[in-house]
Order: sequence, then structure tokens, then C-alpha cells
Amino acid sequence: MLKALIIEDEINAKGEMELLLNETGEVDVLRKCSNALEGIKAINSLHPDVVFLDIQLPVINGFEMLSMIEESNLPRIVFVTAYDEYAIKAFENDAIDYLLKPVELERLKKTIEKLKNSIQNNNPQNLTIPELRRIPSIGANKIKLVDIDIIEYVHSNETGVYFFCNNKKCFTELTLKVLGSRTKFLRCHKQYLINPDKIDEIQFEENSTGRIKTVNNNFIPISRHYLKKLKERLGI
Amino acid sequence: MNILINLLKEIAVFLVIAYLFSKTPVFKLLLAKDFSLRDYFTLYILFSTMSVIGTYFGIPTHGAIANNRVIGAVIAGLIGGPALGFSVGATAGIHRYFLGGFTAVSCGLSTTIEGLFAGLIHRYFFNKNKHERVFDPDVAFFTTLIAEILQMIIIIAISRPIEDAVSLVKVIALPMIISNSLGTALIISLFRDQRYNYDKIGSIYSKQALRIAKRILGELNKGINRNSAKKIANILLEETSVASVSITDRENILAFVGVGEDHHIAGYPIASDLTKEAIKENKIVFIDGSNEYYHCPISKECKLSSVLVVPMRVKDEVIGTIKLYGQKNKSFFKINRTLGKGIAEIVSNQLLAVRYEYQKNLLTKAELNLIQAQINPHFLFNAINTIVAINRRNPNKAVDLLIHLSNFFRKMLKRNEDLSTIKEELDHVNSYLEIEKARLEDRLTVITDIDSNLLDAKIPTFSLQPLVENAIKHGISDLISNGKVEIRIFRNDGHLQIDIEDNAGIYNEKKGKNGLGIRIVDKRIKNLVGNDYGVYMHCETDLKTIATILLPGGGIN
Repeated sequence: MLKALIIEDEINAKGEMELLLNETGEVDVLRKCSNALEGIKAINSLHPDVVFLDIQLPVINGFEMLSMIEESNLPRIVFVTAYDEYAIKAFENDAIDYLLKPVELERLKKTIEKLKNSIQNNNPQNLTIPELRRIPSIGANKIKLVDIDIIEYVHSNETGVYFFCNNKKCFTELTLKVLGSRTKFLRCHKQYLINPDKIDEIQFEENSTGRIKTVNNNFIPISRHYLKKLKERLGI
Repeated sequence: MNILINLLKEIAVFLVIAYLFSKTPVFKLLLAKDFSLRDYFTLYILFSTMSVIGTYFGIPTHGAIANNRVIGAVIAGLIGGPALGFSVGATAGIHRYFLGGFTAVSCGLSTTIEGLFAGLIHRYFFNKNKHERVFDPDVAFFTTLIAEILQMIIIIAISRPIEDAVSLVKVIALPMIISNSLGTALIISLFRDQRYNYDKIGSIYSKQALRIAKRILGELNKGINRNSAKKIANILLEETSVASVSITDRENILAFVGVGEDHHIAGYPIASDLTKEAIKENKIVFIDGSNEYYHCPISKECKLSSVLVVPMRVKDEVIGTIKLYGQKNKSFFKINRTLGKGIAEIVSNQLLAVRYEYQKNLLTKAELNLIQAQINPHFLFNAINTIVAINRRNPNKAVDLLIHLSNFFRKMLKRNEDLSTIKEELDHVNSYLEIEKARLEDRLTVITDIDSNLLDAKIPTFSLQPLVENAIKHGISDLISNGKVEIRIFRNDGHLQIDIEDNAGIYNEKKGKNGLGIRIVDKRIKNLVGNDYGVYMHCETDLKTIATILLPGGGIN
């Protein structure tokens, strides 16, 4: 049985998809999510084999959601859409599939076959993941999307990952790894990422460590392990 | 004493001349604030003549001449400035010099200086931006008073033998100073009054023209046809003193009202050669009824004898004429002639504007068709998908939705009239909302609050749905929590107001993306009822967006 997630904002379409997947008899629907953030959480915690992903999701669309998931956690993706098949075609690679709503059972069965083959042969899924441009942050009762250009640095500790912009601290569900690989941010410490555009100066200290002074006069530590890499990346 | 009375007599003659002059067209020169070189020349000839005549009218006394020469020079200086005052003074002065006598030099010189002095007074007031003061009789009086005292001093200073000069001044000083100061002041006061009259006539004329323009403009919104032509002709007849008014296109009479309307009949071809000439040559034709008579081509009994034919043009093309007629034995007022030309111009401009508006509307319609074609597939596929999904669990509901979908598309494709009632628009919106509610289900709540008295008011077709769609497409469906759309239709301060409010508050962020539909609705409303109405967006970020359609109280007619 394939372990699957459905990410779809319309309640009827969600029910319909689950019904069809159950009818194939080869899929176990682990959870149905209504938006990208629920989806990211479910992917990170349930590790499904495949995600049936609607493209038109509120706030964060299907494509953008992909950029918020760690490469190693990324399941197989089947895009589902009512109309925008051209958008997918531009995006797709032979390895993935897409379904048009309303979905036909026979067509869905073919997709399941493809998926099973691909998983058995361990074929890589050549997804072109877009660059991450906005970081979701969950506040008291709403989600804000913060443009990465205004973020100064990112810090993680045992309570979670936080980014800092305009001297405010914001919580995000995304991991340092995702933020480090999908944005221009640079790793300078096990627990810190820095936005290179916000560096004012780098101060070197004894025993090959240092610290970064940001344009807003905050100081970010540089560990010995990352100092050399940082210097290389910045060309100094 | 004798001298004073004689001088005052001369001044009386001057006043008569000045009065007659003020009735000639040349007087209009004095109405202007600035003069052209040609104007200066005319004024120079005029005032120099006046000044020289002043010398001739003079009374020979003690080997010299008691005279009014100064009046022309001072008025020239006051009205025309230093250059004119100097030239007039010098001309009259040189003329006086050649008449000889022991004061030839001093009198010639003093007149020149007096003209220049008055010119400096003119300069003084113009620099202080008090142009009107040069027509103030008090100013004229004192300027001449000082000028004449100056002259007496010059005579004593220059003329020899000094005894003769002193005894001359003793005799002429008082009469000349008094009579000339008074004379200048009187003439200037006469000029001032005439100027005032001209202004008054001018303003009555402007007011009349403005009133006519205002009344006509309202009738021209749909271009010129027999209906609007008749209304305009009636307005012109009411507002002017002409006997009858006719409006034609290039071939036929569109309207004829007033004297002779029994045989000049709307709908008939143009009979008058004058009108044909005006159209063909694109020029104004005027038969004044005194030198030349207008002969009615239709009836010998016709009482009309004068006519003004003014072509109406759109760009350079003559599209018809406006004709004003006068009756036999009544003069055709010149003011009506000017007015006729002005009115034809107003009508021409308005017709051009109407044509431009019409073309703009065509463009908007084309844009509208484009957007209708654009948005359909998205909505259609989403709707079909929803109906398929619902069909499995609730076939009856699916049938309902299919009926709504069909209703929605039928309305969208069929309606090509410009205006629909609010009721029809709401019906369209309702079909749309039923489908969107099924699709978004728990995520969409719709609240309506509609004043049922307004259901029959007309609004542009297809103006409500795009705004509701906008609230859902770019508002609610981009909201993770539940969305709410409120539609309110009510009367507000004599206007008809439609509010479409969503609780997403993200309009500003996506301005570029969703503006087109709203902009087209706004443009159509403005084209129909003017810039006071239209669509207004109000967004409180993350809280709400309100799209407001503001229309005249009774909707659009």
C-alpha cells in the first residue's frame, strides 16, 4: 500500500479524491490537509510516499510549498489541478505526473502504477524546486508571509526556529536546513543563518572564530567550522 | 474772467468731440490693457490732433495764446504712458513753436514736458498695479493742475523779456490751470463711463452665452438628431431675440421653430442656396436684411428677411448648420450674430466630444468582452469539478448547481444590453455565489442586505459580478481561515451605493493583478454618468476590503 497525503482546499474535491484513491485499493490516505502549512507539517511528521497536491491553495500555492520542504523529506508529488495544466507542463519532469480535475478513476490507476514502479526502482524524482522567496510565520491567529529580503538572520534553539527582521523575532516551522539551501542565506554557525545583504562587517577573533555585525548593529557568532566556508562564499 | 469763460467754451466743444469719439469703433482701443504698435500710432494721431486743435482754439492774449493744448498731451500720457505722452506733447509743442511769439520756445517745450509728466504718472500707477487709476478724474485733474503750474514756471524761466512773461502769466495762469484741469478730468470721466458701459454689455453677453451653452450641452449627449435639434432650436429662440431658429444636417432641415414654421418644415430637404453655400464652402453666410434681403425659397409670404447661417463642424468636416432668422423691418442685432457663431462653436465642440465618448465606449465594450472571455474557463472547470464531486454524495444538489451554472453562463453570453436592473444583476451574482459556496463550502459565508426599493434601478450590465468575484478570488480564497462576503445595496445621501465587503483585506498587495475587472466597471460608470461616480476601493490590510459602487440616486437611465 502506498502511504498518501491529499492537500486540497476545497472540501468536495478533497472527499472526491479520497474516495477515488480508496477505490483503487492500493493507497492508504494518511491525512487530508486544507492548505500548504498543514501539508508541510504532515509531510515532515508522517513521511508519506506520495502527495496529491492541488496547485491553487490559499496563501501558499502548491509550487511554493515544495520550496519549504527539506529535499530528503520530499515525497513523490502528483499535481492535481482543474485548469492550469500548462503551468504544470512547464514545471514537470518525466518523473512526476499530474491529474486533471475532475479525476477519472482509470487515469488515476495509471498514475498509481507509475508511482509504484518509480518507487520500486528507486528512480529519482527530478523536481525543479523554486527558490524560496517568502517565509511563513505563524502569529497569534494568522499566518504572515515575510519576504526574505527584509530578514536579517535566522536562529534556532531547542524551542524552534526564529527569524529576525526589523528587530522583531518571528517563529517559523521551516527548518534551518531548508532556509539554508533554498535561499541566499549563509550558514555561519550551527544555530545561525545570516542574510549576506545585511552584513555590515565581519570581526575576526582569536582561535579562528569571529562575529558578524549586521546593518542593525546585531552581533551573530561565527563558529570555527563555518568561518572558512563563509570566507570562501563571500570571496574574502 | 473773459479768458476763463472762453476756455471753458472750448472745453465744451472738446467734450462733444470726445463723446462722439467714444461712440466710434476706435474707442474700443481704450478698452485694452496693452496696446499694439498700431494702436499706439492710432492714439498718437488722435491725441496729437486734439492737442493741435487746442492751440488753434486758443485765445490770443498779450502776444501769446491762452489754450487747451495741454489736454491732448496729458490724456495721451495718462492713457498711453511716457512714450505716447512725450510724442504727443512734442508734436503739439513743435507745432506751437512754429506759430511764433515770444513764448514760442517756452510753450513748445512745456507742452512736451507736460505730456511726459502725465506719462510718468501712468508709469507710476502701472508699476503699483493700479491700472484703473489712470481713468480716475481726480488723478486727471491734479496731473493737469501740476502740469500747468509747471508750464507757468517754465514760461517765466525761459521767456524774455521777463516783465512780459510775468504779466502774461498773471493773466493766463488761473484760467488755464482751472479750465484745463477741469476739462481733462471731464473727458477722462466720460471715457471711464463709456468703458464701464462696454464692460456691462460684455458681461451681459457672456452671461447669456454661458446660459445658452449650459442648456444646450445637456441636450447633446447622444449627438444631434431631430429630437435634440428641436430642443436646441427652442432654447436658442427663447434665449435670443431672433425671429426663428433652424438647425440642419448636410441635406435636411432637422428643426425649425419660430416665425415661418408653417412652411419651413423639419424633415424637408434644405431649400436655401445660402445654406448649401455655407455647407459647401464651410463658411458663415450673413444676409443683414438692410443692404441685402433674404428671400425665402419656399413661400413669398414669408416674413423673414435676414439670416445668419453658421456651419457646425466636427474636426474639419461640416455636419450641418445653425440658422438664425430676423423679421422684416427689424434689425438683426449684431450681438446675435456673435452669439450665433459662438453657439455653433459650442455645438461643434460638444459633438466632437460626444463622438469621442462614443468611441471610448466602444473600446470599453471590447475590453469587457475580452475579460468575459478570459475569466470563464477557470471558473467553469472549478465548477464542473465541484459538481462532479458533489454528485456522488448528493445528486439533487448537483442538479441544482448545474442549473445555476447554466443560468450563469446564459446570462453572461446573452446579455449585451448596456444596462440591467439591480434585480437582474443580483440574480446573476446569486448563480455565481451558489456555485462558489458549494466549492468553498465552509470557507465562504455570504451576507446580503439589500434595500428592496432599489431593485428596479438600472446599473451597467455585468458590473456587480466582477466585484463579487474579485472579493472571492483575490480575497476569501486566499484566506486560510473562514471568509465572509457582505453585499449591501442602499441609498446614501441621495446616491445609490453598493458595497461589497470581504474580510481578507488583501486588495492592496495584489493591486496589479486584480485591477482590470474593477477598472473596466469604473470606466463604464464614469463614461455613462460622469466622474462623480464610479468604483472606489477601500482596504484595511488583513481586516477588510470594501469595493463601493457609487451611482446616481435613481441608478442610470
